[in-house]
This record gives sequence, structure tokens and C-alpha cells, in this order.
Amino acid sequence: MTEANPPTRRTDPNPDPLPVDEAAAVADRVVENVERVIVGHHDVTEHIVTAILARGHLLLDDVPGVGKTMLARSLARSIDCEFSRVQFTPDLMPTDVTGVNVFDERTREFEFRPGPVFGNVVLADEINRAPPKTQSALLEAMEEAQVTVDGETYKLDQPFTVIATQNDVEADRTYELPIAEIDRFAKRLTLGYPSPEDESEVLRRVTGGHPIEELDAVATAEEVIAARETVADVTAEEAVRDYVTRLANYTRDHADLGVSPRGSIALLRSAQARAVLDGRDYVVPDDVQSEAEAVLAHRVRTGAESAAQSGRELIAEALDSVPVE
Amino acid sequence: MSADSTPSDASVKNRLSLGDASVSYHHLAVGSLAVLMTTYLSVLFHVTDIVGGTTTLLGLVAATLLAGTLIARRLRPKQAVVLAAVLLALGLVGYYLAVPSAYLVAMSLGKVVSDNVALLTGLSVLRMTEVGAWALGVAPAMVFAPWYLVLRRRYALAVGAAGTAMGFFVLTGDLSSFLTLVGMLAVTATLGFGTLARRGGTPEQVDTLAVVLVAMILLASTVTLVPGGGASPILPGGGGTPTVEDAFVSNGERMSIVGSIRLSPKVRFTVESEEPGYWRVGAYDRYDGNGWIRTGEARDYGPQPAPPGRSRAVEQTVTVKAERMAAMPAMWRPTRLESGDRDNTRVSPLGAFDPVGALREGEQYTVVSRVPDPSERQLRDAGTDYPARIENRYLQLPGSSEDRIRQRTNRVVEAADAETPYEKATAIEGWLESNKSYSLEVSRPDGNIAESFIFEMESGYCTYYATSMVTMLRSQGVPARFAVGYVSGQRVAEDEWVVRGLDSHAWVEVYFPDVGWVRFDPTPGGPREQAESSQIEAARQSNVSNVDTDESEEGTWTPTTTETTTVSGGNETTSPDGNATTVPSTPASGGLGDRQPINPGRGASNETFGGFTTTSGGTVGEEEDDESGGIPIGPPSREQTILGGLVAVGLLAAGRRSGTLERLRRAVWLRWQPREDPETDVSRAFDRLEYLLGREHRERRPGETPREYLTALEETTDLDDRATRVGSIYEQVRYAGDADDGLADEAVSLVDELVSDRRGLLGAR
Repeated sequence: MTEANPPTRRTDPNPDPLPVDEAAAVADRVVENVERVIVGHHDVTEHIVTAILARGHLLLDDVPGVGKTMLARSLARSIDCEFSRVQFTPDLMPTDVTGVNVFDERTREFEFRPGPVFGNVVLADEINRAPPKTQSALLEAMEEAQVTVDGETYKLDQPFTVIATQNDVEADRTYELPIAEIDRFAKRLTLGYPSPEDESEVLRRVTGGHPIEELDAVATAEEVIAARETVADVTAEEAVRDYVTRLANYTRDHADLGVSPRGSIALLRSAQARAVLDGRDYVVPDDVQSEAEAVLAHRVRTGAESAAQSGRELIAEALDSVPVE
Repeated sequence: MSADSTPSDASVKNRLSLGDASVSYHHLAVGSLAVLMTTYLSVLFHVTDIVGGTTTLLGLVAATLLAGTLIARRLRPKQAVVLAAVLLALGLVGYYLAVPSAYLVAMSLGKVVSDNVALLTGLSVLRMTEVGAWALGVAPAMVFAPWYLVLRRRYALAVGAAGTAMGFFVLTGDLSSFLTLVGMLAVTATLGFGTLARRGGTPEQVDTLAVVLVAMILLASTVTLVPGGGASPILPGGGGTPTVEDAFVSNGERMSIVGSIRLSPKVRFTVESEEPGYWRVGAYDRYDGNGWIRTGEARDYGPQPAPPGRSRAVEQTVTVKAERMAAMPAMWRPTRLESGDRDNTRVSPLGAFDPVGALREGEQYTVVSRVPDPSERQLRDAGTDYPARIENRYLQLPGSSEDRIRQRTNRVVEAADAETPYEKATAIEGWLESNKSYSLEVSRPDGNIAESFIFEMESGYCTYYATSMVTMLRSQGVPARFAVGYVSGQRVAEDEWVVRGLDSHAWVEVYFPDVGWVRFDPTPGGPREQAESSQIEAARQSNVSNVDTDESEEGTWTPTTTETTTVSGGNETTSPDGNATTVPSTPASGGLGDRQPINPGRGASNETFGGFTTTSGGTVGEEEDDESGGIPIGPPSREQTILGGLVAVGLLAAGRRSGTLERLRRAVWLRWQPREDPETDVSRAFDRLEYLLGREHRERRPGETPREYLTALEETTDLDDRATRVGSIYEQVRYAGDADDGLADEAVSLVDELVSDRRGLLGAR
């Protein structure tokens, strides 16, 4: 068999784009819905929704137990699509992620059994605990939106968004992600501990039944795909493109490792998604600024010579100093 | 350096660097003050140049400067003030000791005060009899005080002290306007550099100072070009052609020698006298190179002594025919007034009678003169035993030209083989008469008049002749003075003469021991009278009023025997016949030629005579004065163009330096938006809005998006909705690419409204 069977239900890959206001409405509904479960992370939720609309993947840096899984699950549930989860462990094999060909005794043929990556929202938990080979299997899937097993290539169903988490607590038992791979995540976000008020609200909500069980879908996968088309069509005039370039150049001039062109592309895409979220069919510099930190900060390495202590500081500095024209 | 100098950044320095060279501001301030001091010291120098003592003055100034420099560091300010006061007091005491005791006796506090007031209202210091002693007396104080202060870095006080000295000479009129300008520039420069020296300065501030100085020069030289303004201190020209009487018979204490003059053909007065003579108005004793000054004070009327030698009495009755006459012409020497207003008559220091104020038309006085009547032998034998007061007063010459004139005179005198003062006088008189030609058209030379006339000029009129003769005589040690008045005029009856404005004249009086002052006239008689009579005729023909009295119209009275007027000791003879009968031989145009002013800057002024001929009805005879006061407005001269260009450059530089130009550009930019394509229009409209808001609230920070900026302003201020609207149009056009003319129009007109609401059409900033 040369053509792999679609293992899951497939969606129309090229729907007509939604009008901007409808796309904005879809995004709003999703954000609102997720927030029925997730307390106090409005910004992060919005970032995740824009990342999905911009066809990006996310890296969540966090301590365990702050609601990463719950966030991913509520998101998947809100857009009515498959949610899958892989717990990365040191003994996890690449095929454990991508899927494996299993010999069917009855048909005398190998049958492809898709792995957890064949989901629409994939939560890759503690990605830094798996060996690099396994990590790269996931990263290939993220980049290409397909997996190759035993020479066979399988397209992944759309929408497809990986939400990977890293655990910084037990650094000695992890394989740190190489910079080249980190670059493939559109955004890196941090949830952080909730504020006392938010935390008590969380506690209030979990007493009785867990709210996620009552969560309904507010958008279809088709709508999300159509909204992605809308985002792709958003105008980015030269003034904005130029601004993005100047921001990237600033990081290159002021850090050991600056933002790659891939980073610039991700920033412009995210800004497009942000514009849609705001109900506009054109990008303004404000969109770029809203997305810059999440999209760029993890891509730069500040060295001893840079004034900024961290990627975040450097990006904040760039936003302050690069003139908006 | 004083404690308040706290240079905060590297560009603020106490030195001015020009390439490799660098000068401290302190030294620049000292230099500027030196220039300032030079201006008024030049007056003192000029004074001593005339009356002697230049070497002493220079030594005194140098010594004071040296002493000031040496003790500046040790002496405390209070001690310095005392020292300066002591120096001044000593100098003044020295001066009063030098003044003749007769004068001191008459002195009172009121007189001292009134003398000083007179000085400060334009009376030249040269009128002080002992001005040399005065100059030496005040010089040390005038030098020490500013010099000490500037060395102590008290720039303002130094300028105050020096400025007071300069101001004194400005008020006495001794400082020329050019030097006053230089002085004012030096004042500004001293203060400017002084401030920079105290507080530290940047090169930009030095630029500003330079611009200020240039502006001062330009303004000083251009403001006077404004119609109606006075003469420019820098540019030549300006001012009208004076009449002879303006020039020398108004009988002021100072007589400046001018260039071309006109002679008025009007009748000034008539004289009834037994014999003709020179109707003398006054004399001058001090020559400063530019003109004549009468020193000393006029006294109340009293009978005057007769000359020491032989003399005869001549009674003259003078009737004033001019509207007013500020003089009482009489033959030398007037001794008493037989009739006339004695209470309102004074006696000038050189022996003439003067009315207080002026005599009116129709007024009459009778004066008895004792006319010296020496024989030629007496004059030859008079010797050189001059009284000290005569030697002191009538031998002064400007030192700078004395040697040159003396050498030339020596040659003249030797050529004539003259030894006695009388021979010298006649030799010089003859030399001038034969070597210079008579002309009223003269362009006034720069510098010493006598020197120029003797060595360079071809022609001149009586003032030049007389001035030259006096200086030449003085260079030979012969006391002489300059006298002005009228020649005898037209004889209309046996004992009556009509005297016109063009009879005014200047001549020389030479002192002979035991004889007194004797008149010499170096001006050639013939050409002068020719010019005179032709002008009378011309004026008659054009019906100028007041040219004639009833008698003079009928012709000149001719005595039965040819009368020869013999000037005492003189070789000049005046023939009344010739005086009257040469009229037709000279065409009117010749007379016109004499009248023409030469001032090249005033092309319009030679129209006068044409005016006469066209208005031959003769009703406007009074209009002989062609000084209409207006300045013809024509295309600008080259000087004006150059100056205008300089002013423009200076203004541009000043404007750029002060930011005025930028503000102006900004103001225009803010109010006037040329339209191009919609995108550019909207961008510029937003820029204007941003500028407006930046002025009103705060500027947009570099990393701030237009939206953030407007939102932030909206939150903190009551931002105009129109501004928000312009912001969203801008965003739409700039970032969405929706440029269309409608949006551009809206944005531009909204911003126009906002600008005119806030600034008005001509609002500041």
C-alpha cells in the first residue's frame, strides 16, 4: 500500500476564508469558553488561540500542576476536535509518538496504528524528559504537519497544534531542547502560579463536578480552518513588515543570537492572527507589539555583552527603542 | 576662576579654540576692554596732539597700565576705588593749577556746575582753555579704573567705568559716531566674553556673540540709510550742502570745515560807515584738523580796550535785513556799542560782540571800532616778543601734521627770503594766492584740512585758504588765528554798503607785538568777486526776493575818485568798480555752476536753479534752499545692496542660531499642507497632529505606536475626537493600504481645524 489511509476523520483542507468579523467571533467564543475552566490566564488563552489561528505550536514553561493539561483539554473541547496527550519519559520511543505499523495476522498485512500525534490538539507533556530522537520525531511532525513511519508518509489532520510543556524543576533529569528546535515553537508562554483570588476561584470551581466535564464545543474544526484562511489573508503593509524586520535586526545587533527569519515570519503571522482577534483585516504595529515577546523572546540568546539579562528584557528593550513609523 | 564657574559638560570651556590656537575668554574680554579704552583715549590723544603733550600722555597711559597690571592682584577692590578717586582728584587739582588765575577768581560752584553741564550737552572738551592739562589730569584715572577691574575679572564694573568715560566724550561730542560704534561693540564684546569667562561657554555661544556684534555693525550702518535718518557713521554721503553762512558765520563756538558750499545772494544787513572794511563776526583760536574751535567763555558786555598800537575810530551803523542774525558784524576791533541792546550783548573771548540769541530783521546797532592802522615799517619792525598768553594760545597745531607743514612753509618762506613775521605772512599769503585756485566746489578731504589743501588740493575757498595760512604761520612761530565775517559788499551810497550772504568770508589775523591783530586775506580777490557778482545777477534775473535793497537795485555808487581800499599792510586791493560792473560778462549758467552741490549721493539736489527759471513769476523766491529734507527714493545703491545682503545673511545666521528660522519653518509647515498623493497627505496630516499634541501634551515615544499614543492621551487628557479620528484614518491608510482621496481630505481638513483652533493663523511657537 502506497497511500496511507486517513486514520481519523479528515476535514476539508481548503475551505473558503471566513469574513473577519466571523473569524473574530469564533476566536472570541473559544477564548471565552476556555476561560470558563481556566481562571486568570486571559492573556495566555488569547495567545494560544492566536497561535492556533497562525498555525503555530506552543511551548509552555512551567512548574507542574498549574493547569497546562486542563488548558489544552478545554481548548480541544471548545473547538470540537481530538485531544491527545503524550507523557514524555526517558524511555519513550519515537514510534510511541508517531504511531507504528502493526502486522495484522488476519490480513497478513502491516497496518498503521497512528500515535498520539494524530490529534488536533496534542499535549506533549514534559517534552524535555524524552531523548532527543523522540523529541525530533515530534518536531518533524510539527514542522511538516505529517509523519513518516517506515517510509510511509501520513498527513496529519488539521487543525493541528502541539502544546508542549517543559519542566524546569528537575533539570538533572532532562534533555534540554536544542535552540534549533525551540525555534520551531511559534510561542513560548508561562502560566505561572495563579493569584490568591484566582486560586480560590479555581478551588471553588472544582468543588462538585469538574467544570471541564460540562464544557461544550463552541466552534467546529472547519470554522477554525476557515478562520486560519482569514488570518492568512490579513493585510500586512510595508510599514508593518518593515517594523518587524527592524525589530528582528535590533535583536541581532544587541544579542549573541538574534531572531531568525523564521522568527520574523512567526511574528508577522501571529500579528495577523492578533489583528483578526481585534476584528481587523490589516495588521497595525500594536499587533506586532502584542505578539513580540511571546514569539521572539525564546529565540534569542543574550550574552555577557548584551545589556539585557534575558530574552524578554531584550525584546522589551527593542519595543521601546525601535521607532514605529 | 571664580566659584560660580561650574562647567558641566566637556563642550563648556573657558577658552575659545580656533583650530590649534586657543584663547581664554578672559583674555578676549581684556582685549575688548582695551579697544573700548582706546576709543576714549583716542580723544585725549587727539587733544594733546593739538595742544601738545602727546608724549607725556602716552607715557602716563603706559605707566598706568603697567602699574595697574602689577598691583591688580595685590590691591583689594576698596583700596582700588580709593586709589582711582585719588588719581582723579590729583589730576583735577593739577588742571586747576594750570588754569590762569584770572579765570579761577571768577570761578564759583555754580560756574563749575554750569561748565560741566555745558560739556555734557555737546560742548567739546577742546573748548577748555587748558584742555591739555585736563587731558593729562584725567587720563590716569580713566585708564586705571577699568584696567584694574577687568584684570580682577569684574567685567561689568570695568565696562561701567570705561563706559562712563566713553559716555562723557560721547556727550561732549568729541567721540565720532564711528568710534562710538566701535566703543559700543567693545562694550558688548567685553560683557559677552566676560560672561563666558565667568561661566564657561560653548562655541555656539561665541557664535551668538559674533552674530550680535555683526548685527550691531549692520544696524548701525543701515538704520541711518532709512529716509530722514542722520548721517551714517560708516558710509560717506548724506546731509545736505551747507551754505557758507551755515558753515562759518552762524558764529558758533565750533566751526567744522565742509566740502562744497553755496552762497546765498540775499541781503543780510546794510552798513553805514565812513569807510569800507571787513565786517568781522568772530574768530577762532584752536584748530583740530577738522575745523575751528573758540576756547574760553564769553563775558558780559563792557567797553573793550583799543589795540595797543596806532588805530583810528570808525563808527558803523548796522541794520539787519535777514530774518535773524546771530552775530554783530563790525570792523576789528569793536570797542563799544553806541546804540543797541547792551544788556543782550556779550563779548566773545576773542573780542567780538555777540547778541544773546539773535537779532531780528530791522534791528539796528551802532558800534565804534578801533581799526589798527599800523605802517608797514611798524609791522616789519614788530619783532617776535610775544606775550606768553598769546604764544600759549595761538601757536597750537595738531602734532601729527606739524612737521610736514613746517617743512613746506620753510621752503615757501626761504624762497621769499622772508625773515620777520610780517615778511613770512606776506610770503605765505602770496604763495597761497598764486598756487591755489578759487572754487566753491570742493569735496571735503579726509583728515587734516590744512595739510590736504597745502599738499594735495588744487582749489578751495576762503576757509581752506585761511585755515592753511594760519597753520603755516603757526608752524613758523607766528601767532595767528582764523577770523570769519563779511567783506564790505556792494557800495550803494558814499557811506552805505549792502552785504549779502555771498559776501561771507574767512580770513586770517596775525598778531604783532605792540600792534595787535592785523588782518591778512590769502584768498584771491578777483575770482571770488566774480563768482559773487555773477550769482547776484543770476538771482536777480530769476526774481529771487531779498536780493536787493531799494538802493542797491539802482546800481552801485561810484565815487568820483577811484577809491582803493587798502588793507592794513595788505597787498590786496578791492575795486568797487569791478565789483559792480562785471555782471553781464558772466553768463547765468556760470553762476549756476558755482551753486551746484557736488555730493554724488544726491543727484536730485541740482534742480534748484531750474526751479527758479520755471517759476519766473517770482513768488516763491524763498525757496532758494534746496534742502528739501527728503531723500530721493530710487533704486538702491551698490552700498545699500551690499548692506542689504549682509543684513540678510546676518539675519539668517542669527535666525538659524536662535532657532527662529526653524520655528518659522515649523510654523509654516504646521499651517500649510501642499497636497500630493493620499498616503503622503495623511502621513503628513498625522505628523502635524503629532507635533501639535507633542507641544500640548507630550511627544510620542519612539517605540510607541500611534494607537498607543492616542489612547494614552485619551486616558490622561480630554483628547479631541478629531485627533482620534485622524489617528484611525492614519492607521487605515498607512497599515491597511486604504489610501483614498476622501480619507486624505478628511484628515487634512481635520488637522487644519485643529491647528487653527489651537494656534490661530499666526500663533506663536
